[in-house]
Amino acid sequence: MNVPKSASIVIIGGGVSGCAIAWNLANRGIKDIVLLEKDTLANGSTGRCGAGIRMQWAAEKNCRLAQYSVEFFENGNEILGYERDIEFEQSGYLIVAANEKEAEQFKKNVKLQNSLGIPSVYLTPEEAREIVPLLDTSQFVAATFCQKDGHLNPFHTTDAYAMAAERLGVKKFKHTEVIGIEVKNGRIESVETTRGRIATNIVVNAAGGWSKAIGAMAGVDIPTYVQRHQILVTEPLEPVFSPMVMGFSYNIYIQQVPHGSIIMGRSDNTEPLDFRTTSGWKFVEEMTKTCSKLLPALRTANVLRQWAGHYCMTEDAQPIYGPAPGLEGMYLACGFSGHGFMLAPATAQLVSEMILGEPLTIDVSDLDVGRFERRELVFEHSVV
Amino acid sequence: MMYKIDLVVIGGGPAGLMAANTAAEAGAEVLLLERDGHLGGQLVKQTHKFFGSEKQHASVRGIDISTMLGDRLDSFGDRATVWKNATAIGFYEDGVITVDHDGVYKKVKPKRVVVATGASEKFLSFPNNDLPGIYGAGAVQTMMNVYGIRPGHRVLMIGAGNIGLIVSYQLMQAGVSVAAIVEGLPKIGGYAVHAGKVRRAGVPILTSHTILRADGQESVERATIARIDRTWNAIPETERTIECDVICISVGLTPLAELLWQAGCEMRYIPALGGSVPLRNDCLETTVKGVYVAGDVTGIEEASAAMVEGHLAGLEAAASLGFKSDSYDAERKDCMEQLTALRSGPTAEKIRTGLACTACL
Repeated sequence: MNVPKSASIVIIGGGVSGCAIAWNLANRGIKDIVLLEKDTLANGSTGRCGAGIRMQWAAEKNCRLAQYSVEFFENGNEILGYERDIEFEQSGYLIVAANEKEAEQFKKNVKLQNSLGIPSVYLTPEEAREIVPLLDTSQFVAATFCQKDGHLNPFHTTDAYAMAAERLGVKKFKHTEVIGIEVKNGRIESVETTRGRIATNIVVNAAGGWSKAIGAMAGVDIPTYVQRHQILVTEPLEPVFSPMVMGFSYNIYIQQVPHGSIIMGRSDNTEPLDFRTTSGWKFVEEMTKTCSKLLPALRTANVLRQWAGHYCMTEDAQPIYGPAPGLEGMYLACGFSGHGFMLAPATAQLVSEMILGEPLTIDVSDLDVGRFERRELVFEHSVV
Repeated sequence: MMYKIDLVVIGGGPAGLMAANTAAEAGAEVLLLERDGHLGGQLVKQTHKFFGSEKQHASVRGIDISTMLGDRLDSFGDRATVWKNATAIGFYEDGVITVDHDGVYKKVKPKRVVVATGASEKFLSFPNNDLPGIYGAGAVQTMMNVYGIRPGHRVLMIGAGNIGLIVSYQLMQAGVSVAAIVEGLPKIGGYAVHAGKVRRAGVPILTSHTILRADGQESVERATIARIDRTWNAIPETERTIECDVICISVGLTPLAELLWQAGCEMRYIPALGGSVPLRNDCLETTVKGVYVAGDVTGIEEASAAMVEGHLAGLEAAASLGFKSDSYDAERKDCMEQLTALRSGPTAEKIRTGLACTACL
């Protein structure tokens, strides 16, 4: 099947961000939108992520972006007319502070979150153990908990967006790779794909790890890079805890999924900076050490398998939203640095507003790509 | 701690034992990993005498071949180490193999690997297929021939391939009655000599039949079977009930290739070989350099071919490390000839068709 000869907007990337943007634009009545995916939907970072959704952030902007997204997901099935279920379970996030310094920061975080209407609470280790009985209370000094955080099915969510977008007329092309972008006089003229050329003046670069390569096709340098992240999954166990347990200094996120398996992940800056999705043994060793320390009862759980995906990183671990400088017609929605899945509704809303020149629901003008050259980085410390 | 060694062989069945023996003979230091508490793999429960030529141990029982190969490996002393109760749990990008050895986590980094993990039994979907008393045929054979446990009193066998036929006969030898052998295909898949034995003992072989369901309170008490048409649908009013306390599923095997997937070997789904199998060259080396394969993990055949493949893989893995004896050329030629002979004839047509799709390089 060949692509259409022209389109009002071409969205590159069939992850959750691309699909959400396609739906959001089509839902505003925009016609002739084309969505291009070089593989299958959710095959990149979306389908390999830890699937957590949280509003407990240290920076106000991230709190607001997450809050917007959570409200959307709460009604996601209805808004998107999805006959299956995006499986949003608000089973909470419990974040542990390993030391006093972290605990102090957590107090500030909770104050900020509460002021925005996010119902997080500050807990003693004993209170935390009432929520997650497996925790060793000697291993942390405090915790925060937000019941409205939770997890979501990445495949169903992406599918829900894609199907809703198609019903509104978006033309979706899987296994269709972008191989070139034609620019004339500083303006995008067309997108060349493996299934033909599409004349268009607007391109949304939501290609995740490949966003840099897409930018380069149009002569734009997008300062993103990829890094591998790994996750492991245990055999199914009796249900013992439902929130995502997270620790920033501990470098862990861990959750028991509904069928009983426990999944956990961590960050490691020695991981390769390329697209490989193979697995490493060091990850298993480090991961199981941390897990056994914080949740000692899990020492005896057998690891069933591991998988890997990649984060599309930026220097400050924050997304890039907005137009590409010096090139008319390319909008960026990339560099999510490990939290693109949970922010998809906000991403879709904001990028659509930028394209249509409407006022922004949340001011993300400082998350433009120019911040790296201006050295106005926006740091968020509450990340794994 | 990281163990370093020339060659790790994963799996101590016929293929792995031959690979380890051949490589040790050539001079390589070998570590053999066996998940079970004893060597031999499927050979241990093969109490029947083998066919083929003398080279493939014709007229010797499988269990005796296993002992012979294990003893030979012992004779190499320090050059060949065997870890029993050792499961290879991971095969990583940097060539490290992680092992659960008697409950202790170990890491091994070999220069070459022969993966000879064999196969697992396929299963069938039907209502109540999780009732106690429903086993794979291989499991029943293990219970009887390795552990001396009688699985029940009256067995319904599903599948008339060689394993279904042989296990039926062995069940009768153990004093268990076989109610019937049910086969979905219109003809018997196994050798006529095996089929003849069970038929003479009065066991009906019902071709173009399938199992519809199992029933029982605490465990299997009966099964419902029916005739099927050419499209594998049950024909109405041909249903009948068979009283039995064991249902034995013998519907084929599928390669145990998880480690090869994890190692990044290029795989291809080939139904004629039982599932996804690794592409390999004529040295049995996969697309990942230094990773060799032998036996059922390369595609479902039988123990004789597995032993020859093991010989070839061990020979080539050792040779690639510089352990190349004077007899290398002769041994290689002999292996190739034996494999061609084992795969000749009409019964091996499926295997030949499948193998034609596995070549790389």
